[in-house]
Amino acid sequence: MGASLPPKEANLFKLIVKSYETKQYKKGLKAADTILKKFPNHGETLSMKGLTLNCMDRKSEAYELVRLGLKNDLKSHVCWHVYGLLYRSDREYREAVKCYRNALRIDPDNIEILRDLSLLQAQIRDLAGFVETRQQLLTLKPNHRMNWIGFAVAHHLNLNASKAIDILEAYEGTLENDYPPENERLEHGEMLLYKVSLLEECDMVEKALQELHKKNYKIVDKLSYKEVEVSLLVKLGQLEEGEKLYRALLSMNPDNYGYYEGLQKCLGLYSENAEYSSSEIEQLEALYKSLGLQYTWSSAVKRIPLDFLKAEKFREAADNYIRPLLAKGVPSLFSDLSPLYDHPEKADILEELALEIERSLKTNGAFPGRVDKEPPSTLMWTLFYLAQNYDRQGQYDIALAKIDEAIEHTPTVIDLYSIKSRILKHGGDLAAAAALADEARCMDLADRCANSDCVKRMLQADQVSMAEKTAVLFTKDGEQHNNLHDMQCMWYELASGESYFRQGELGRALKKFLAVEKHYADITEDQFDFHSYCLRKMTLRAYIDMLKFQDRLHSHPYFRKAAAGAVRCYVMLYDSPPKSAVEEDDEMAKLPASQKKKIRQKQRKAVARTKKEAEVKNEESSVNVSKSGKRVVKPVDSDPYGEKLLQVEDPLLEATKYLKLLQRHSPDSLETHLLSFEVHMRRHKILLALQALKQLFRLDAENRDSHCCLIRFFHKVASMPAPATDAEKLIRSVLDAEQPSFSQLQGKSLIEANYLFLEKHKDSLMHRAAAAEMLYFIEPNKKAEAIKLIEDSTNKLVSKTGFYEWKLKDCIAVHKILGKVSDDHEVASRWKVRCSEYFPYSTYFEGCKSSVVTRNNVQDDPVYGSINHQEADQSAMPLSSNGTLENVEALKNLVI
Amino acid sequence: MVCIRKATIDDLLAMQACNLFCLPENYQMKYYFYHILSWPQLLYVAEDYNGKIVGYVLAKMEEETSECHGHITSLAVLRTHRKLGLATKLMTAAQNAMEQSNRAAFNLYTETLGYKIHDVEAKYYADGEDAYDMRKVLKGKNFHGHGGHAHHHHGPGGCCSGDHKE
Repeated sequence: MGASLPPKEANLFKLIVKSYETKQYKKGLKAADTILKKFPNHGETLSMKGLTLNCMDRKSEAYELVRLGLKNDLKSHVCWHVYGLLYRSDREYREAVKCYRNALRIDPDNIEILRDLSLLQAQIRDLAGFVETRQQLLTLKPNHRMNWIGFAVAHHLNLNASKAIDILEAYEGTLENDYPPENERLEHGEMLLYKVSLLEECDMVEKALQELHKKNYKIVDKLSYKEVEVSLLVKLGQLEEGEKLYRALLSMNPDNYGYYEGLQKCLGLYSENAEYSSSEIEQLEALYKSLGLQYTWSSAVKRIPLDFLKAEKFREAADNYIRPLLAKGVPSLFSDLSPLYDHPEKADILEELALEIERSLKTNGAFPGRVDKEPPSTLMWTLFYLAQNYDRQGQYDIALAKIDEAIEHTPTVIDLYSIKSRILKHGGDLAAAAALADEARCMDLADRCANSDCVKRMLQADQVSMAEKTAVLFTKDGEQHNNLHDMQCMWYELASGESYFRQGELGRALKKFLAVEKHYADITEDQFDFHSYCLRKMTLRAYIDMLKFQDRLHSHPYFRKAAAGAVRCYVMLYDSPPKSAVEEDDEMAKLPASQKKKIRQKQRKAVARTKKEAEVKNEESSVNVSKSGKRVVKPVDSDPYGEKLLQVEDPLLEATKYLKLLQRHSPDSLETHLLSFEVHMRRHKILLALQALKQLFRLDAENRDSHCCLIRFFHKVASMPAPATDAEKLIRSVLDAEQPSFSQLQGKSLIEANYLFLEKHKDSLMHRAAAAEMLYFIEPNKKAEAIKLIEDSTNKLVSKTGFYEWKLKDCIAVHKILGKVSDDHEVASRWKVRCSEYFPYSTYFEGCKSSVVTRNNVQDDPVYGSINHQEADQSAMPLSSNGTLENVEALKNLVI
Repeated sequence: MVCIRKATIDDLLAMQACNLFCLPENYQMKYYFYHILSWPQLLYVAEDYNGKIVGYVLAKMEEETSECHGHITSLAVLRTHRKLGLATKLMTAAQNAMEQSNRAAFNLYTETLGYKIHDVEAKYYADGEDAYDMRKVLKGKNFHGHGGHAHHHHGPGGCCSGDHKE
């Protein structure tokens, strides 16, 4: 390095490299400039200067210098290496690999470059290349522990676990008998556990167990040791040993459900779907009774029997379970029991029990059959439980009555307001739900949970700016809103994106969805540093898990929602593109002059305001200089409304980017293929649309959306002109070959298929609506029949207690379908009136109990009162100043 | 009610969400990776019956100093899941794990951490559980964590410091 330089400059060059490594960029820059004064064309110095500038956020200069350096010294491995590092810093991995390879051509045994190359190969999962590079590294430096481990890991990743075992054994062979020294025991133990996991992966279970036992004394992490041991024992069918071990594990942590499951398996008392014979139930009961005596502190041991017990036994156990929890006031009791509500019999029993307790507490102040008085709070928690019970059954009236009673009983418990808020949300009154959540929040301003709950509700109610102002009360720095983004607060970004989308603000919606997408790209990037870190730390099992996790990262629900949201935005953008300036001018021309002037003025003012805000932010950010002297420049958001995002040439092409990720990572989600269908129908990619259709039918042929896609697709096919070109003929032949695979269409016209579908699902509102929509689609003159189909649907009572089958969200969807099918306002409003009866709390249908209707006469109601004081709250909220915790404190005094 | 178990890599996103939902001190995903890839034994989660992560503890070993000791980086329990003693159970699990890995004495919640166990309210709950009242002085103001809602942040070290900000 720097070989061509005289000694003084060569030393300076070393200084640049050292400064780069220690992040003293200014120092490095100075040294580089000193050399360049004498040797302005020195390639390696130019390169290093570029690399240094890259770390100081001067990207374009960096690339210029690095390229110039390389041009001046094409034979230098340093220049190539630096070029690779530059690409790597911009996540251009494949380009970086090319550069490293060029560097290695000049200096094949350069350990540093080989190591950097291996990291990239691990990152991009070029596993064959990874194995090769790790082998080279081991050959060059066999006395390094890391090189052995790296070689083994590479083979393991490349699906050759047995080779990995051989390598680890060879490595162990190089160690002294008394290895490891005290300070490396944990690391060595991790390596041994990794080896055992490899043996297990190769189906050498017995050998794995032997190895584990043999190395017992060298494995430090005893808990992992036991967990691995027990799973191996069970695999080998040594159930008695397994049982003992599970009992030992339970004595260490009697709240781990996995251990109970394991114990049951060892005893032959486990079934996947919790279906047991009566003798099995008896054995289980006895088992948990004895465990309960052992682990009095465990709540698991009390809760699990509720899953397998039935009828009277269940009633007794449930009664014993809920009483102490009601007395203690455990807010999560209902959510804990809610899975039991999937069994109608158990749901009824639970409701009866709670009602009995309520009655008894009200009349005697004690639990049924007891004389000891309960504290008054027990009644309140019972009411709290009952409210959730009725909420779950869709009986919002009773649920609200119960929760109001509880609030009246004790007006100071936050949980009551949160639950009331949730009930109102389920009932369809989003604004009232948000107001209630805000009330709950104000009762404890230092509690972020209450704050987040409130933000969530505000976003559901499409109060985005209020939500933002509320959320930032808990973020730091001046740049509060960015902080939510920096901290990857994805639930918030998704919820705001969805809200913007509902409000038709596509730019802002897209911005949020793409922000989440970026978090996932960052998370992928996050693994980079760990490729070398974990080899040093020896946390190999966790490392392998992490890599596998990364490989399926994009199937996470947050990502799915974000990508689907983005695709939807692009589709909508395609369907209704934003007006061009000319069109807008045309519209303006129609307006009277005075109005025109007003609008123009408004626009000018808005522009000026945004500009000023940006300037202020700029000043703030330039003050932020951190210790290292590196300026922490938070780039000002030049596109706060996402307007630039909307200026894409081909929205559908943009959509396909995210669609591909969904298809690759969420192939079993109906939504993926629905979106794919929508996009490709619009792009006239007929075979891709067919593919989506086939996937939909693979997943759920009876789904209403699948049906609609089927009809729309073959309707389009029928309307296609006769094929002219070879390509078109080919497409036609594929379609002809594929059509018979849809049994729904065999020997039937589309209209017949639609009627058959209707007949098959005539009791389901959503299916009827789908059939009606398609009927109108195929034969628009059958509009009246389509409307009648929907209006003739009947909403049946589901249970003895009088709640209806239809879901609010479905009814809203049907309302929208009616709007599409008929331009007669009367039709939609008939539906609305009808639904307002079923959903009296729904603001959408303007139900009689919803806040849209009651808004004017709620002033006296202490609970609804907050709707009105919301305005007052808004003014008390620190807008964009510095709403840190201090502000919260200040607010606390203000409000309470 | 709630399962207390060692966290796996698949829990990290839910842990981050839990943290963002209820604590003011937040971290990027890389910091969670750093934890699980440094001390895979020391992360525990509380998972409710519906499979939702309702609490977690992030613990670590301080290895740089001569005397090895444990730290709790962050401990959170959702407000909806209070009064179950989850914080105590999580702490116990993490502490046991530290002892299991047999790495010397631990000194949790010492003054150097900025945290103090202000008081242990023995047998606070009906079933005899203890409640920790943990307090931390924040920016010269009294900020009073709820029983068991506690958090503490330590700058990440080593190569994986990421771009986490204090």
